[in-house]
Amino acid sequence: MLKYVGKRLIQILILLVIYIAVIFFLLHAMPGGIKAMLTMNPNLTPQAREAILHAFGLDKSLWIQFLTYLKNVFTLNLGISFSFYPTPVWNIIAERLPRTILLFTTATLVSFFIGFSSGKSLAWKRGKASEYVATVIGVITYTVFTPLLIFVFIWFFGAYLGIMPINQFLNPDLWLKTNFTAQTIFLYLLLTISLVGAAMLAAFAVARKVSHKVKTRKIIFYTATAISSAFAVFWWAVSPYGIYGADILWHMVLPVLTVAVVSYAGTMLVMRDSMLETIKEDFITTARAKGLPDKVVRDKHAARTAMLPVITNFVLSMGFVVSGGVITESLFSWPGMGMTLLNATLGKDYPLASGALIFTGIFVLFAHLVVDIIYAFLDPRIRY
Amino acid sequence: MSAVLEVKDLKMYYSTKQGMVKAADGISFTVNQGESMGLVGESGCGKTSVSMSIMRLLAENAKIVGGQILFKGQDIVKLKEEEMNKIRWAGIAMIFQAAMNSLNPVYRVGDQIIEAILAHEPDVTFEEARERVAELYKLVGLDPKRMDNYPHEYSGGMKQRAVIAMSLACNPDLIIADEPTTALDVIVQDMILKELSKIQKKLNMSMIYISHDIAVIAEVAEKIAIMYSGKIVELSDAVTIFKKPAHPYTVGLMSSFPSIHGEKKKLVTIPGEPPNLLNAPDHCRFAPRCPFATKECWEKTPPYEEIEPNHYVACFHPQNLRKQVSING
Ligand SMILES: Nc1ncnc2c1ncn2[C@@H]1O[C@H](COP(=O)(O)OP(=O)(O)OP(=O)(O)O)[C@@H](O)[C@H]1O
Ligand SMILES: [Mg+2]
Repeated sequence: MLKYVGKRLIQILILLVIYIAVIFFLLHAMPGGIKAMLTMNPNLTPQAREAILHAFGLDKSLWIQFLTYLKNVFTLNLGISFSFYPTPVWNIIAERLPRTILLFTTATLVSFFIGFSSGKSLAWKRGKASEYVATVIGVITYTVFTPLLIFVFIWFFGAYLGIMPINQFLNPDLWLKTNFTAQTIFLYLLLTISLVGAAMLAAFAVARKVSHKVKTRKIIFYTATAISSAFAVFWWAVSPYGIYGADILWHMVLPVLTVAVVSYAGTMLVMRDSMLETIKEDFITTARAKGLPDKVVRDKHAARTAMLPVITNFVLSMGFVVSGGVITESLFSWPGMGMTLLNATLGKDYPLASGALIFTGIFVLFAHLVVDIIYAFLDPRIRY
Repeated sequence: MSAVLEVKDLKMYYSTKQGMVKAADGISFTVNQGESMGLVGESGCGKTSVSMSIMRLLAENAKIVGGQILFKGQDIVKLKEEEMNKIRWAGIAMIFQAAMNSLNPVYRVGDQIIEAILAHEPDVTFEEARERVAELYKLVGLDPKRMDNYPHEYSGGMKQRAVIAMSLACNPDLIIADEPTTALDVIVQDMILKELSKIQKKLNMSMIYISHDIAVIAEVAEKIAIMYSGKIVELSDAVTIFKKPAHPYTVGLMSSFPSIHGEKKKLVTIPGEPPNLLNAPDHCRFAPRCPFATKECWEKTPPYEEIEPNHYVACFHPQNLRKQVSING
């Protein structure tokens, strides 16, 4: 297992270097690239031009420049943003990356969970009206143009029903008199969620160790989850930060919903197909013949095996979800990496744009790694 | 000797777009405590359909339209799914035709056997179940250490043995072995079958061996049922079937398969097409391929009758055949 993870890590590092190279050379090949932009002014004397190029290291050969750039990226020295001068790019990214991570992880978990269970049930009980309804909805949301979906959401929830905030990361009126930043609250939120997640994971592991009975395991897992979430909610409720945390979460609902809807259908449709295939397998007949209850055959045997292609599909669709994410963040004014990337590109803020691109890439590659590890846990055939 | 399984006039049909496939059309037989029966017939004659009916694991388009399946006197055709689940594996276990794919690839082999034990015997602890699996592994000739391996780490023969161990896990009264060794080479096949037969005798279980190869069945079954096109055409003890076969199809089957321990016989295949079960005809289904068919055979279905004690045949002219065989032999 460790060997496998190590191998994947090295592969990902290589991919990352290639990715950075592509970004670097694209920036240089672009008409109106950095060099042209810095020396555009016709009033510059040749000496001044030389001096500028020298100061930015642009007089060196492209390879030397690339290696320097690579070194800088790995030491998080991404330069200074033009549009937020003089804030270093890394500081901006460090602030915004967590927001994107939270948005995506939540949306992904929600859509995966719902897509997985609905695809599973649809395949198990075929030919019902619900199957056709769900499939049609699935195909529609799968093919829908993301901005259109967002406009529909904004119109429906924000304007027509008027119950949801439609832009901003938070409600400015509420935060006017506070002496802490939104970022602090946000990081606390993230910390809480990670702690609850860790507690759930630990409970899962403990349950597996302690008992071999599915019922006992479930009881352990659900009680631990309930206790840790109750504890978290209680902490936020009594702390003075509670209302601010709630404000951020409330603003997150629509963006999460959008990303979840966009990626839900893929999971659901693939799960349904995969499940229909798995049901035909002989080991399902064996499981039935063993006299296991219908639910156990469905969940423990069919769904557990059928989910493997769903995970593979998820990895493949990650790029699609990220591009959907850029649009989602921008349209909901969710100040994460997607919106940063778009604004920096539009504002010709090269250091920030390339930094945002690189870190979006790192995020995606890292997500790949996580999914790969999960996959290896789920499929013993790859583990060795 | 009490009957463990009595199948009475079982009819199981598949409905397809082209019409009814009568895969089991009036099947009757009895398996007694400790007895082993062979069910033999060409590919597609409905052997698996019969065993799946007994397990009540039918395809969506399949339906038991008539007859009874009495397991220890209780008709399981009418049982509710939950009640049937109690009989599955604890009462009737099965070794599937596709034993290679009978194991779930994502779980350890041992755990899949333990799962069956715990499902039927909730009082057994996990450790006790593990011990039982270790015993079973020894019984079928597997190293108990391999329990914690996954199916892909097993060879075909090992999977086969593991599947046999699994079928024994809950001490069933009856095991149905549907071509348990087809995917293996002849030597391993022979060995595993013999071991299976030994275990069956040792534990005094009842067994139904299913195969298209009468020579394989002859080694292990005390009683043999010959199936043709959804019907049993001849049934008797193994000796009678070999010494005095009464149905022309039985004779055809015996000459179409070389014996494993071979004084080399000439390989004669049964002439004509294997039957189509779709919209099966009203006359004797073997008539188109039968060298002895008369006008009668083309008009009516021959009754399934006991022509001598414990020797059942569905043929209008079993005597004809006897004469023929004795002249030739
Ligand atoms: N789900 C199904 N729908 C329609 N017809 C089916 C279905 N399953 C099997 N059949 C048909 O029923 C007949 C009997 O099939 P069955 O699998 O019982 O044969 P078998 O004797 O076990 O053959 P083999 O030796 O190849 O395993 C065949 O003609 C087959 O085409
Ligand atoms: Mg079969």
